[in-house]
Amino acid sequence: MTTSAISTAALTRSFGAHQALADLTLDVPQGEVFGLLGHNGAGKTTTVNLLTTLLEPTAGDAMINGHSVKTDAAGVRQSIGYLPENVQFYDNLTLLENLRFFARLSGLRRPDARIRDVLTFLDFTGHDNQRVGTFSKGMRQRVGIAQAVLHAPAVLFLDEPTSGLDPEGVRTLRKTIVRLNHEFGMTIFMNTHLLSEVTKTCTSIGILNHGRLVHHDSMSNTLAAFPADESLEDIYFQLDSAAA
Amino acid sequence: MNTILTSARHEVLCTLRARVAMLLLVLFLGMVSLSSLIGWLTNTTVTRVYEKILADGLTTAPNPFAAVSALYYSRNSVIYVVLIGALMAIILGVQATLRDRQSGTSDLVLSRPVDTIHRLIGQFLGLGAVIAAVLAASTVISWASISIIMGAPLGFDTSVRLIAFATLSWSLMMIFALLGMLTGLYSRKETTALLVPFVIWSAIAFVLPQIGTAARPVALLNPVPALVAPGSASFDLIGAVTGPFTITEQFKRAASIVLRDDSVTGSPWLSILLLVAVLIAMTWIVVVTPRHTLRSGLNE
Repeated sequence: MTTSAISTAALTRSFGAHQALADLTLDVPQGEVFGLLGHNGAGKTTTVNLLTTLLEPTAGDAMINGHSVKTDAAGVRQSIGYLPENVQFYDNLTLLENLRFFARLSGLRRPDARIRDVLTFLDFTGHDNQRVGTFSKGMRQRVGIAQAVLHAPAVLFLDEPTSGLDPEGVRTLRKTIVRLNHEFGMTIFMNTHLLSEVTKTCTSIGILNHGRLVHHDSMSNTLAAFPADESLEDIYFQLDSAAA
Repeated sequence: MNTILTSARHEVLCTLRARVAMLLLVLFLGMVSLSSLIGWLTNTTVTRVYEKILADGLTTAPNPFAAVSALYYSRNSVIYVVLIGALMAIILGVQATLRDRQSGTSDLVLSRPVDTIHRLIGQFLGLGAVIAAVLAASTVISWASISIIMGAPLGFDTSVRLIAFATLSWSLMMIFALLGMLTGLYSRKETTALLVPFVIWSAIAFVLPQIGTAARPVALLNPVPALVAPGSASFDLIGAVTGPFTITEQFKRAASIVLRDDSVTGSPWLSILLLVAVLIAMTWIVVVTPRHTLRSGLNE
């Protein structure tokens, strides 16, 4: 029996009168690469912010690796890594100084050996003493992944990880996500717009429409439920428009 | 404890890498160094004039600088702390808390197992360490330059008084650093984060003392506290009400006594207690800032 890495029960978040996420009930088993799809404003980032404890739910609850976002936020934070969309760092500090800071905040007392291992894993060596302010978008994204996995979290949240990357950067990131999942068994929860990336990376998907989950199934079941000549893009628009 | 130490160390590193902050630190150290030089130049000039008029037989009075205390040469530092030191502290404080909100790193920090109270205490301690280091350097500069002027190393009592003055200066500067941290946390715009504490500083340093003492505006730029108009009940009353808020005047009063300025008499303890009370209150206000405020965006 597989246990859930992420489990939400009627998770809801409102901003004033606007309900950004309504009654989200979802289970993501351990070891999955889950892709959350939806148009702009569908509630994807709100979902990630709730699951990473950056926002508090208006109603409902979520369990991450057995910790409640409402009653054990510290336990949740210990279990997760997070890469926000357009990740930013302390530009005046070097790569090593940035990573040491985040590693220590995550509880690693002597992080240098672990930082070296992670940077080697990401094939991102030779930049240790370079200031992050001089890095390209693709380099920053790799630093973002590095800071998110330094403490070997059980669950990794990625918010639009391919946003602004060139094709080479997208391919590198995709390989990294797959390796993190295969080699370390990390559960990955990813928001994205790029349907082609979802097909190549995710093992299950969910589709949000105006804050409501309108589809949740494994990638294979989703593709099997529709005619063989339909792409995920066709399927996404069918499900999205049916919900609307 | 880990978050406190990590945040403190990070704050020191970020401050030392910020050009504006470093420029201000150098400026402050330069002004403190100049303080002794100005005192020495005054001494030399007056003594030369005195020796000339003594030689001409125009006076029999003693040299006015013959009995001057060694601490006399540090008195200008009091006003440098109120003017440059406080402004420097505000900028450091604003930078400390605005940095994460500006760059968007707050989400990365708050997704870690970080207690916000520990995080803010760490930032406060980091700023405190930077300001303490600057004041320690300025004290060493003062001690060395005054020793050179006096022709001998300063004695134990004078050295302790210089250290006490540095401690008082740290307290005042940390109050303004906390004010900066507070506006850096709560302001919706970067400009107001800097503008609001500057306005509060100018009100505390210049407006409130005038309301309570009828001091001449220029007197507020002197290192001694503003004088209360004699026999004026209304000013006594207003002075009693505004006194606890005029922390710069409280600092000037305590510092003047510590630096043995004869124009100010009495005990410095009430002023010191007020400074410490304000420092504790400000620290409490900053560290209880809600978690969501740390990641609130800026409207710019």
